[in-house]
Amino acid sequence: MRGNPAVDTTTEMAAEVAAGAPVLPLARPIRRRVRVGVVGIAGVLLLIVLSGVGALAPWIAPYDPDETTGNPFESPSGGHWLGTNDVGRDILSELIYGVRISMTIGFLAAAVSISIGTLVGVVAGYFAGWVDVALMRLVDIVLVIPFLPLMILLAAYLGPSFWNIILVIGVLVWARPARVLRAQVLSLRSLDYIEAARVLGASSGRVLRRHILPGVLSLSLAQFILAASSAILIEASLSFLGLGDPTAKSWGSTLYYAQVRSAFLTGAWKWWVVPPGLMITSAVLGFAFTGFALEEILNPRLRR
Amino acid sequence: MLRFLAGKGVQYALVLLFAITLNFLLPRMMPGSPLLFLVGEDVGFMPAEQRAQIMRAFGLDQPLWRQYVIYLGNLAQGDLGFSYQQGRPIVEIIRNRLPWTLLLVGLSLLLATFVGVAWGLLAAWHRGGPVDFASLAVAMFFESTPSFWLGMIFIATFAAGLGWFPIFGAQTIGIPLSGVAWIADRLRHLALPLATLTLITIPGMFMIMRYAMLTVLGEQYITTARSKGVVERRVMYGHAMRNALLPVATVCMLNLGTIVSGATVIETVFSYPGVGRLLFEAVLARDYPVIQATFFVVTVSVIAMNIIADLLYPVIDPRLRHAR
Amino acid sequence: MRAILKWVGVVLLVALLPSYSGAQVGTVRLAITRDEGFLNPYTYQTGYPGWNIMTLVYDPLFYPDANNEPIPWLVRNTQVSRDGLTWTLTLHPNIRWHDGRPLTSEDVKFTFEYVQKVAHGRWSPPARVVERVDAPNPATVVFRLKNADAGFRLRALADIPILPKHIWESVTTVAAARGFNNMVGSGPYVVAEAQPAQFYRLTANPQYFAGQPRVRELILPVIRDATVSFTALQAGQIEANVRTLTPELVTQFEKLPGMKVVKGAGFASTLLQFNLEHPLLKDAKLRQAIANTINTRFMARLLMLGFAVVGSPGYLHPDSPFYAPGVKFEANKAKAVALLNEAGYRDRNNDGIREASDGTALRFTMLTLAGNPIRIRGAELIRTWLRDVGIDATVRVMEDAAIIDQVWPEFDVCKGRRFDMAVFGWSAPVMTRPTALRDLFHSDCNIGTINIGGYKNPQIDRLGDQLATTIDPGRQKQIATEMQKIIAQDLPVHVLFYPDTIMAYRQAAYDRWVFQKGQGIVNKLSFVDPPK
Repeated sequence: MRGNPAVDTTTEMAAEVAAGAPVLPLARPIRRRVRVGVVGIAGVLLLIVLSGVGALAPWIAPYDPDETTGNPFESPSGGHWLGTNDVGRDILSELIYGVRISMTIGFLAAAVSISIGTLVGVVAGYFAGWVDVALMRLVDIVLVIPFLPLMILLAAYLGPSFWNIILVIGVLVWARPARVLRAQVLSLRSLDYIEAARVLGASSGRVLRRHILPGVLSLSLAQFILAASSAILIEASLSFLGLGDPTAKSWGSTLYYAQVRSAFLTGAWKWWVVPPGLMITSAVLGFAFTGFALEEILNPRLRR
Repeated sequence: MLRFLAGKGVQYALVLLFAITLNFLLPRMMPGSPLLFLVGEDVGFMPAEQRAQIMRAFGLDQPLWRQYVIYLGNLAQGDLGFSYQQGRPIVEIIRNRLPWTLLLVGLSLLLATFVGVAWGLLAAWHRGGPVDFASLAVAMFFESTPSFWLGMIFIATFAAGLGWFPIFGAQTIGIPLSGVAWIADRLRHLALPLATLTLITIPGMFMIMRYAMLTVLGEQYITTARSKGVVERRVMYGHAMRNALLPVATVCMLNLGTIVSGATVIETVFSYPGVGRLLFEAVLARDYPVIQATFFVVTVSVIAMNIIADLLYPVIDPRLRHAR
Repeated sequence: MRAILKWVGVVLLVALLPSYSGAQVGTVRLAITRDEGFLNPYTYQTGYPGWNIMTLVYDPLFYPDANNEPIPWLVRNTQVSRDGLTWTLTLHPNIRWHDGRPLTSEDVKFTFEYVQKVAHGRWSPPARVVERVDAPNPATVVFRLKNADAGFRLRALADIPILPKHIWESVTTVAAARGFNNMVGSGPYVVAEAQPAQFYRLTANPQYFAGQPRVRELILPVIRDATVSFTALQAGQIEANVRTLTPELVTQFEKLPGMKVVKGAGFASTLLQFNLEHPLLKDAKLRQAIANTINTRFMARLLMLGFAVVGSPGYLHPDSPFYAPGVKFEANKAKAVALLNEAGYRDRNNDGIREASDGTALRFTMLTLAGNPIRIRGAELIRTWLRDVGIDATVRVMEDAAIIDQVWPEFDVCKGRRFDMAVFGWSAPVMTRPTALRDLFHSDCNIGTINIGGYKNPQIDRLGDQLATTIDPGRQKQIATEMQKIIAQDLPVHVLFYPDTIMAYRQAAYDRWVFQKGQGIVNKLSFVDPPK
């Protein structure tokens, strides 16, 4: 299901299928390239705008989000464009500062997961044999374990804190990138010049460093961005379920407070729930567009 | 072929054992004692000997390995244990909850597959055009929205606001219904959670179908472009579709495996009494046996679906009949 | 043909009979918060509303009235010996179990012996004061107590539901009792249908000895989510809710046509709990300083939108019968600073945080419950205020079971504690017990206290022991007043506020609810008048 790294996005599924068959040639109409380019640019633009908002928060936000600057539960007005929350703090300011928290969580969690994923994928793909089998079994195990329940369980066990959330997400999201990168390494490994290098006695370390890693790096980047997109969604879900850190003012925690303080009942949801959801969607979209475009461009299997 | 299956069989058995052990250990490593939920809130007023009596009665004072051995033995006999909290055999609890989840997720998967495949076909047909572009944008939008957010907006608009649908549950409480009214009532309660879950599953299906179609079409396009004569576009798409359905089928079958946990958030938001929500409630309540049992049920179903996928694959795609 | 007509006539007559009882309303849907097991004494789950609903199906000997005073219920006549050790109770005649058998003194004797043999968290402790129970004849029960017990009437007689001996005598272990699915009681309502975790359907017991219950059928859907339950109430899918209305919904609900909103004092408390064994927090001056930084009036206004009563430093709510007037607390930041300076806490290294004379910095962790957003907000406010006077308090949000593990491990005060401060709270029944102050502050952990801070004061212990065995209300009040004055000085806990109890219901469906002070409308009195 969506949000589940086992079946998230489609490109690596198709790649998996194709992995059993000879690589198919694919014609690339110019229009497709342009479209991928447009999507990519849209994504990058979104990310730049969001990052800008986050960086310039102290100058853009009308109030200090931790200060009570109005009465609780105020509707939107000239003084507070998105009204105030349950303790009289400006919602717009909270959302603006929330960019920092949510994006940071997304990046850090993605970093953890890609580090693990790249390591596992490259080692499995390059060394093959029983190392590959063992690591891929590990990947299968991680993917088999029911993702959402495990996420809830880990979050409940480790407790609601900023770093625990990052850890939980990172530990769950690495398996899919590992698979994709392994496939990439497998195809790289079979390239003539790399075979030649190995036959000629180049050490594994050297081959890895000079030939494999550079080839994998760009795909890693694409996976990183996609992982960040998942991470932001997961953090929002965890926070909403009450398993996140309510003192870290992410968009997810804004939604949590909105929900437990009856925003859906009082009509406050229109300015307290819709905007944070849109922010989350924008961020996820930004990462997804960028990652999608990057993967299209960088995945050599799709080029040829 | 048989050797291949046996090899896979051993691997899945290992996966199962690992998952079971993990399921058993994780709940026990969590902070907090289940005593709160054994006895209820008033346990604080109970003197220590009586608390110990209750712990003994429920086997919580046994060493960890002994609890594990008992657990394994019970599993082998199909006994999923007894819920501390609800005072009921867990098999009964799951049996009550499972149908709702299967209904919700099964239906949404079916709908999402049909819509996604048709849509993917449409986008591939109009490849490069505005329809394709718009479809991609819409699909990515729905894949990026938080499912609970969408669900709550639906509740606020259609249930609480317009009153077209009920706000919670799977059925109207306390009023006995029969025949068409019974079905209608169940459907009305199912509508919003089904809509939400389907809406966020469709994009995945759509993208795979579209991508797979384009992949296959690419090859065919080159081939037919080189051939002389007119080729029915429809025939070409027919061939392409058969091949493109393969990854769709893969994703479908893997999704089937996550069928019982995939809808946890949706079930929570809509207070829909399924297994996903049961797990969430059990984790919050530290109801160890229910957590273990639900994990077990989910893991078994995932493995079962993987096995079915492994078996069906060579049937669907002749190229893989001689796979490693 | 004649025979058929006769039977039709009989059936019609029987069907019409209930409507002759008059003034009985049809169906009321009352949402409850969670599954309550089989609604019998050993499987119900929560203190509130579980006990309240369970006692619609089962009857204790007495029952708390609207002022939380125990009034006789199954009992027609009570005689207590001068020394308070012998209680002779005469039961009403014609009390029947739902299966038709009569309820006799044998059942009462059985019940009080049973709860001592088969451990029950709530009833085994108060029942332990009973040395023996005799049933000289089917209508008379004689209790012989080991010592005079101030709480016997409320916590034992008005709390423990009577079990049918003929059904429960074969259930001999705790495990069996916790899984026993029998729901035959003597109460005004019979469990007609119980769907696990979904709903319960209770129908009025037409043979109830105290008269016809005022509502014919009670449907109790389980709605775990608070917002969903209020949405359902607003949309008319239910008629009443056991939950107290949250502050942000009050004005909106008051404006809804057909909705009645009843407000009253609430006896649940929200407080700041200190760990009295903490090397720094054992200093009373520090605790007083911390308390002086907390503007509880502002908190009540901001967090509860005014629907709360500011906390009293002696713990007891101003509306509680044992409240000592004059025990108040006014936060004063200047006083806080003065106290800190006086006690030698200064910022010795200019990092903005004060240190004790031995150099230990005033850095604490404040725990609070994850599921309670008002407490989380409260903790954040306290953190800000403490920062202003140079005390660093990090807020840590934890889940129920995790907090209990640190603050009240295994619900056993004897097992110690591992925390600095916690934003905590107690439910309403804690306030209504005459022995509340002893339960909260007595240092002997073996008597089953809730003194989770580990507070130790020999004076309080002495007064607490007296309180437990004094049955004269006047004398009880005197002792309680003394205790409150000491607690207000020592501040082992700092009460922030008492959230009001606000109940909303649809007037047209049913309007004869009885508001139990500090607790709410879900009680037996709302459905049945006390027996004459």
